[in-house]
Amino acid sequence: MAASSLQDVLPVVARAWEAAGGEPIRFSFDATSRLAPQILSGAPADVFISADEAWMRWLGDGGGVDPASIRVVATNQLVFVVPSGASDSPTGPRSLATADLERVALAGENVPAGRYARAALESVGVWPQVQPRVVRGGTVRGTLEWVARGEADGGIVYRTDALVEDRVRIAFAFDEAGSPSPSYPAAATTRTEYPETARAFLDFLRGAETLALLDASGFGPGVAGSPSGPIPAPGLDRPSSPAQRSSSEGSTGLDPWSAVRLSLIVAFSAVLLGLIPAVSMGWLLARRDFIGKSFVSMIVMAPLVVPPVVTGFLLLTVLGRESVLGGWLSAMGLSIPFTLLGATLAALVVGFPLYVMAIRAVFDTVDRRFEEVSWTLGVPKAPTFRRISLPLALPGIAAGAVLAFARSLGEFGATVVLAGNMEGETRTIALAVYSLLESPSGRSSTWILVVASVLLSLVALLGFEGLSRWQRRRMEDHHGR
Amino acid sequence: MDAEGGSGSGLHVQIHVPLDAIDLDVDWRPECDHVAILGPSGSGKSTLLRALAGLEPKAEGRVSFGEEVWLDSSSDVAKPPWERRVGWVPQDALLFPHLSLRENLGYAGADTSEVERMAKSLFLTDLLDRRPRFLSGGERQRVALGRALLSGPRLLLLDEPFSALDRPLRSEIAAMVRGFVRDNGTPMVLVSHDEHDAELLADERWVLVGGTLTADGRSGS
Repeated sequence: MAASSLQDVLPVVARAWEAAGGEPIRFSFDATSRLAPQILSGAPADVFISADEAWMRWLGDGGGVDPASIRVVATNQLVFVVPSGASDSPTGPRSLATADLERVALAGENVPAGRYARAALESVGVWPQVQPRVVRGGTVRGTLEWVARGEADGGIVYRTDALVEDRVRIAFAFDEAGSPSPSYPAAATTRTEYPETARAFLDFLRGAETLALLDASGFGPGVAGSPSGPIPAPGLDRPSSPAQRSSSEGSTGLDPWSAVRLSLIVAFSAVLLGLIPAVSMGWLLARRDFIGKSFVSMIVMAPLVVPPVVTGFLLLTVLGRESVLGGWLSAMGLSIPFTLLGATLAALVVGFPLYVMAIRAVFDTVDRRFEEVSWTLGVPKAPTFRRISLPLALPGIAAGAVLAFARSLGEFGATVVLAGNMEGETRTIALAVYSLLESPSGRSSTWILVVASVLLSLVALLGFEGLSRWQRRRMEDHHGR
Repeated sequence: MDAEGGSGSGLHVQIHVPLDAIDLDVDWRPECDHVAILGPSGSGKSTLLRALAGLEPKAEGRVSFGEEVWLDSSSDVAKPPWERRVGWVPQDALLFPHLSLRENLGYAGADTSEVERMAKSLFLTDLLDRRPRFLSGGERQRVALGRALLSGPRLLLLDEPFSALDRPLRSEIAAMVRGFVRDNGTPMVLVSHDEHDAELLADERWVLVGGTLTADGRSGS
């Protein structure tokens, strides 16, 4: 198991290892913060290569890896990237304090790259100036994508990632003394059934052949001895102490109540914003036949089946700063990416199919002849819609709103791509839980959010159940004798 | 062409409506003000009334009421229902389920005293604040009738309006309807499969069979 930033280079190294007579190796790449807990819970891995030392130390303390086998096999460097088309770019870390940058993208604060980035900015004393402009996402690759698309004016990523993305260029590297130097410690797991092979592979990773391959990909060589360095690792040392936990929340800035509040704001606004479009669309699909109806219906329903991350990506494409629509909106002062509005929009788009489906269903069941009677009584279409159709459809509209609300509460994928994961701005319950799960100390404080989330969802579903019953009873009014 | 005499409802109907089983093909010009159309169920009686009310988009041909042309497919004229102002009483009442009886009766804009007077003449006074779901079938039919009468109809279209009423009540309500149409000079088309209803309300009878309307040679078959 290995950190995802090694995804490109390790298979090459493995081929060299096999060519040298080593046993075939299978890899599993993911974020370090996800892999480390997996190893402690007994994932069948022989060797673990971490993207930072704190997680490795945590695994060593927890008995997941053999501490004696830990060695740093590669190093990396933080660089500041700008879109390759940017005309003018900061020249060094200190110039960031005054540089004309609207948004600076960093990886999430529990992802090693995100922590390193903040440490790097703090080490040169510009964090207070940069912080208000920071947009946070999840992984390094996501951060890179934001810069590549010009959604952010700059970002801090690993050199190795910057090298494979030709839509960005490196403005400068954080290479001053005191800047954190990201390193990749590797170790054999305590569970491995092949300790000899594991050790042999670890030695191979430190060998000259590997060194050359790493160098070609932009990695630096591993260093001898036990690693050290000023890497902030919030709450990793003593995960179970409550005092430690609260201080770790302070340092990661994770306030569960802010997440609950944001979730409610996002869900309520999404439902309100979607009300008129959903009613119109539901009515249209239930009552009208027009050319392209099945196509329209398909587009509306698509977010139900398309992975939310893809939906988020498409929304970013349509509404990002570089797009026509996004440019027009931002000229009007409406910025969608990385804002609460973006989070709301993501929640709305993903919840919209449920909203429309419920409303369409209720218009299907409301007997059209009620409307006809109203017409013959001298009341034209529009007032008939207001006085008859709408009130009769009300329980279904409310049920749709509740479903959309519930779906908004659970929205994650589209939100993290379009709006980022920013404390107090776009970090809703789902995003907060995700962030907390990435740091071991967060696991227990996650419970507040888990309970809040489950409760809210249950209340919403209960509401839905009640509303459907109301709807059924009303419909019986006239079907029953 | 309608200038001859003051008699007749002024209704002239020449329409074709494609239906699932048979097509409705009607060329009809009743002589009296108050007409009954008899016929077995499924013969298209309700469809004919709906076409008169302007609720059958598939109806083709020509419908005129007095000087007014309601439908003329050849020149794309189709007056919408809310401009025809017919009082349509559908077979299953179709009371608005979310409104009380009072609100149903006053739906077209009648004021409180009119609503209460109508309720009284239909024996509904005690029920005014109920919702339709708490009513019997006969009560619903009476409300639907009252609702139509209170809309100031220029033509009354009754679709089996008394099917759920027992005999004594049926006569009383029929008398009340007769009074209404006489006082207001409102023409009326009644559709029923029950000869008794026709006797109570109509001066002229027609029979609709197989989609065609023919004058009924008095009581015989």
